[in-house]
Amino acid sequence: MGAITRRSIVRGGAIGGIAAIYIALVGLYTKFADLELVGEQVTLGRVLIMAPGLVAAYTVTRPRIVAGERRSVPFGSGVAAASRTGVITGAVFAAAVWFADWFGVDRIREMFVSVSEVLIDFLTFGKGVPAGLPILVGACVVGGAIGGLARTAPANVRVPLSVGLIAVLLLGMLQRIVPIIFVELGFEADWLYSPSTGGLTWLGAAGIFAVAAGADVMWSRGGGRARERVRTSVREAPAARLGLLVAILGVLAILPLLLGTVISEVLGQVMVYVLLGIGLNIVVGYAGLLDLGYVAFFAFGAYSTAVLTGAFLNTTTGAAEPALSADLNFYIAVWLVALMAAGVGLLIGAPVLRLRGDYLAIVTLGLGEIVSIITASRWAQPLIGGPQGMRGVTKAEIGPLNFQDNPQHFYYLALAFVLLALFVSWRLAGSRVGRAWNAMREDEQVAEAMGVSTIKFKLLAFAMGGAIGSVGGALFAVNLGSLTPASFEIFVSITALAVVILGGLGSLPGVVVGALVLIGLPGLLREFEEYRLLIYGGSLVAIMVLRPQGLVPNIRRSRELHAEEVEQDAWGKDVVGEAEAVAAVLPGGALGVENEDLE
Amino acid sequence: MSDGAPLLELSGVAKHFGGLYALSGLDMYVAEGEIVSVIGPNGAGKSTMFNVVTGLYPPDDGDVRFQGDSIVGLAPNRITRLGIARTFQTVHLFPNMTVLENAMVGQHCRAKSGVFAAVIRHPGMRREEERIRDRAKASLGFFGSRLAGYREDQPAFALSYANRRRLEMARALATDPVMICLDEPTAGMNPRETLELRDHIVRMRDELHLTVLVIEHDMRVVKGVSDRVIALDYGRKIAEGTYEEVANNPQVIEAYLGTKAVV
Repeated sequence: MGAITRRSIVRGGAIGGIAAIYIALVGLYTKFADLELVGEQVTLGRVLIMAPGLVAAYTVTRPRIVAGERRSVPFGSGVAAASRTGVITGAVFAAAVWFADWFGVDRIREMFVSVSEVLIDFLTFGKGVPAGLPILVGACVVGGAIGGLARTAPANVRVPLSVGLIAVLLLGMLQRIVPIIFVELGFEADWLYSPSTGGLTWLGAAGIFAVAAGADVMWSRGGGRARERVRTSVREAPAARLGLLVAILGVLAILPLLLGTVISEVLGQVMVYVLLGIGLNIVVGYAGLLDLGYVAFFAFGAYSTAVLTGAFLNTTTGAAEPALSADLNFYIAVWLVALMAAGVGLLIGAPVLRLRGDYLAIVTLGLGEIVSIITASRWAQPLIGGPQGMRGVTKAEIGPLNFQDNPQHFYYLALAFVLLALFVSWRLAGSRVGRAWNAMREDEQVAEAMGVSTIKFKLLAFAMGGAIGSVGGALFAVNLGSLTPASFEIFVSITALAVVILGGLGSLPGVVVGALVLIGLPGLLREFEEYRLLIYGGSLVAIMVLRPQGLVPNIRRSRELHAEEVEQDAWGKDVVGEAEAVAAVLPGGALGVENEDLE
Repeated sequence: MSDGAPLLELSGVAKHFGGLYALSGLDMYVAEGEIVSVIGPNGAGKSTMFNVVTGLYPPDDGDVRFQGDSIVGLAPNRITRLGIARTFQTVHLFPNMTVLENAMVGQHCRAKSGVFAAVIRHPGMRREEERIRDRAKASLGFFGSRLAGYREDQPAFALSYANRRRLEMARALATDPVMICLDEPTAGMNPRETLELRDHIVRMRDELHLTVLVIEHDMRVVKGVSDRVIALDYGRKIAEGTYEEVANNPQVIEAYLGTKAVV
């Protein structure tokens, strides 16, 4: 007891209050004030009112390390502290609202456009400034108490509750997607999603909560054993492994039919980024070369596919032939594109061979920018259309399959290339090549001294990464059918890198999960479109703080980041330190002893 | 002791960092099958000599010849491929790779399968991978059960300090070298481990038929293993010969202890 000081409560609560003010200023409250999640009362805006207090309380009641021992906060005092945190958050927030009202909403609005009478009205629950403020504080306190509960309640209570609540919130937010799936499958959706508000009905929410919480209880009872059984059978029986693989492929094959065109389209975009992620993962995750100019390969892949398959330039008068053009079938062109992109990888890799870390990042950033600028330049206009871009990338069609108008068809095309890239990357990781990359990432100089040609393997990493990334670009071109320079800006590099880092450097499942989270979720939750960058930044910061090894870490990488926690390692370090000290003293001493009996 | 041309020969090798001459006109040789110890006070240029021989630093002047051919200007990985393996003064493993993987990296330069072999995994590649694994295990086996069994799959950082030193040597042995350069192999080891290592150095010559060049501060080890001792100071050779000859050399004693005070 006494682990939570008043100071940490005040600090946590105040930070929560500031976060709430920030959310109000960027306009999230007003935007989502009317997005009903459950029934008519629970809107996303109201959930967001409780969120800062909840997160602040959840953080304040975290287990403390006392005298080297990890101590959880007891339930009762935890909830009390959490509620007090909520009070502070609410007080700060309410004070800000009161100030805004007193100072004049219109005067603040000159700088922060989201501050309006509507916002004040929403935050005071329609009761006006003095009367509504206690309700606002109350909402923050409730949020704080929930945060405390979620942290300190007994595990068999808090985990199912949290899982259930999260499931309800998530399905509530997916209210534009899930009903479509229901309709696609021929089910009735009105009992789950109310036709009038669009959100979940209370009955539906209760049902989802019960199913999710129940599933969690079942899983915690028998899940460990089931998982262990699957794992051992997969490890020991090749037939089981094959079965699992076939099952996964089967699910992937029928997925677009189940999910309909809207989600299939999102999945197609996800897979383009999975390809970029797999390629970049070779460069950054395996070989440890930080490349911030990966958009270069994406652009190269897209434009060279267009040129090789006979696309047209957009001009003011219509269409024109590029200065250089071939009329190949896409399935021939894509291999040529990958091969040429590997060549570009060598070109980009060669000048940066001697650079490491930050320097490498800066130079590759510049090289990527060069490619972006070239795509938009008048100089390259005769070949790739300059600012107007190109259109008519159509040579991928096979029979009735149409990859531009039918997202389900494109899904299968992209899936084929993703599976191929995953296979290549997985095989490389477990080979002599992958070992050499790993060694190089761990210690470049030592790898060189152990006989690994670091020049050769760095270039190889750039070439392989470039080839896979360019296929992502080729698919992008086939999907859209037209290209403009706006699609090839630095944002692509950053997103691809974020996908790799979020999933876990060096981890292939991580790339898939990272792309699903960073491309898939924003694609499904169109409401958040204008806050995309805010969410990217926020989720990356959260990952770096909470789970630096990524969502699905590569085992080796997570070891690296947790190395300090391994007791033996700490012990080893002490010994090394000692050894060096001894070695420094030793030479004179050792010979001195010998000399005594020599003299 | 040597018949014909020496295995390794340094002639007039100089290396300076700014104004500091780490090596100035060093001449020395190592004959095949010898264990040569290099001693000298801190900053005498011993490790610089290693780095020049293994290609980490290009010499500013002079020539380094291995098996009769100059190796000056070759990349370190080429020199390793020619047959010079090394360890480092402070342990430099690949800490997050397993013990076996560390040793397998040593075999890297004796294999050649590339990207296509890795993806297709044809029988030739599998045989090669098998051979790399066997060879790596054999070099771990040189240290008895210390690095064998369950330890093979442990990450290298989880090893004890002495085992890290051993693994570094095993990794060097896995490159199938002709000559192995050990930079203070017993630094930080306790007396028993030091004794054990002394035997290992001798066994490298007698059983693996390697030529050994070793920088060592522990005079019991130097005395126990050396066919020949070379003493360096200020980047030059100040004495050479058997252990007794070098230990009694007045210049060597002065280098270590300073000039005798005149009473």
